[in-house]
Amino acid sequence: MIRRGKGVGCMWYPIGFTVLANPSAATVKVNEDGTATLLTGTVETGQGSLTVLAQIAAEELGVSTDDIHVVSADTDTTPMDTGAIASRTTYVTGNAIKLAAANAKQILFEVAAPLLEVQPNQLEAVDRKIQVQYFPQRCLPIADVALQAQFVMGRPPIGSASYNPPTVGMDPETGQGKPFSTYVYATQCAEVEVDDETGEVDVIYMSAAHDCGTAINPMLVEGQIEGGISMGIGFALQEEMLFDDKGLQLNPNLTNYIMPTSLDMPEIDVDIVENFDPTGPFGAKGVGEPTAVPTAAAICNAIFDAVGVRITSLPATAEKVLRAIKEKNDNDQKILPAAE
Amino acid sequence: MTDVTLIVNGETKTASVPPETTLLKMLREDLNYTGSKLGCDVGDCGACTVLVDGLAVNACLMLAGQAEGKEILTIEGLSTLEKYHPIQKAFEDVAALQCGFCGPGMIMTTKALIDQDEDVTRQNIKDALSGNLCRCTGYTKIIEGVIDAYQEITGKKLPEIKPRAA
Repeated sequence: MIRRGKGVGCMWYPIGFTVLANPSAATVKVNEDGTATLLTGTVETGQGSLTVLAQIAAEELGVSTDDIHVVSADTDTTPMDTGAIASRTTYVTGNAIKLAAANAKQILFEVAAPLLEVQPNQLEAVDRKIQVQYFPQRCLPIADVALQAQFVMGRPPIGSASYNPPTVGMDPETGQGKPFSTYVYATQCAEVEVDDETGEVDVIYMSAAHDCGTAINPMLVEGQIEGGISMGIGFALQEEMLFDDKGLQLNPNLTNYIMPTSLDMPEIDVDIVENFDPTGPFGAKGVGEPTAVPTAAAICNAIFDAVGVRITSLPATAEKVLRAIKEKNDNDQKILPAAE
Repeated sequence: MTDVTLIVNGETKTASVPPETTLLKMLREDLNYTGSKLGCDVGDCGACTVLVDGLAVNACLMLAGQAEGKEILTIEGLSTLEKYHPIQKAFEDVAALQCGFCGPGMIMTTKALIDQDEDVTRQNIKDALSGNLCRCTGYTKIIEGVIDAYQEITGKKLPEIKPRAA
């Protein structure tokens, strides 16, 4: 019989470790046509980080994301980066880029201020213009200001900066301290169907509510969450590396290391719970790894809700679930005293 | 060595290859169509999917000689320098791909599905894509991209389905 159950899994996840140095650096150069070149050492592996980082630079400079030319992950030309690891890119590298863009913008402000007859701190960069705050008609195109800076004032508008979340050593006695800069939180709910005659589990629905600070690019956040859920489903139900007694992997290929396909994916509702983290670039934190954390817990809780068995080792394969159901049924049977 | 002639994306191409050469190896190494990817090389991942006479095929499982004289369509045959194919445009618009390695295979599978000229349901799409593995996206946005491309190309609407969840 097919039984349905629902389960909830919650998590927190740390962003930007501080127990060791964790720096990122960036250079932003505003070109004389109003575009900007961004040098960053971070690696794009498909998560969309370069898009997000270009958005951060564009927002700070008041230009369009299309105006940012990103040069990345080349140690010949770009600053070294700690890496696309630990869900740190938006937070740590993003902060470095925001600071670098602000430095370049400050040069533009100092060049534009006498032309607009104000102080640099009265200016703002919006819509590809340097303009006087509250007086948007008093403005200069950012391209003209960059040209002026380069060829008249002799101050090329280039900003470099680095960001390292303040390193806090651990207490050697207790091991306590402040190991991370900031934290994200999430809750996922799963609805499953469990066949109590075969032990087979089918995830039919997942909802995921994730806090990632400001979602700089909500479409990419959704993509990360949906991808994380697929990894979580694999972790919960299918994926297991098997080793023989010599430590050789028995299933080193996709034929018998089973990962989720399109048929294993449930309907997914993604809810981005936006908030503002004052230490992040424009309030952003991160979203990468956290997305896969609560999925397996939610699914195992849903299995318990459906058939009343706790699966305590992953993956919860049909064999394991069926064995647990049989054990439970055996224990539930009343043992009648033998007839005398 | 065997001479094999293929019609790749409308152009006739010939190469002299050892008889055990797979279609994928010939496309990638002899003819330089590197859009089709070598993933698992045993037909599990679908990254090498190409169309052979309109059918989606794992090019790593087909010998080049078996494709002699057949019409092969690879990812390079879809777009022009000016314009994406509607499937590629739909995938881009919904951010269907992340690292993109599965992309050529996913898109060729989608092309085969849409070219069948039959009414398609969400389940048909999931079935069709089940031979193409993706580690990044969780397939959700890929399925969205296929739906958008199907509706754009055929002008049909996907039937509404009742959600299974309570």
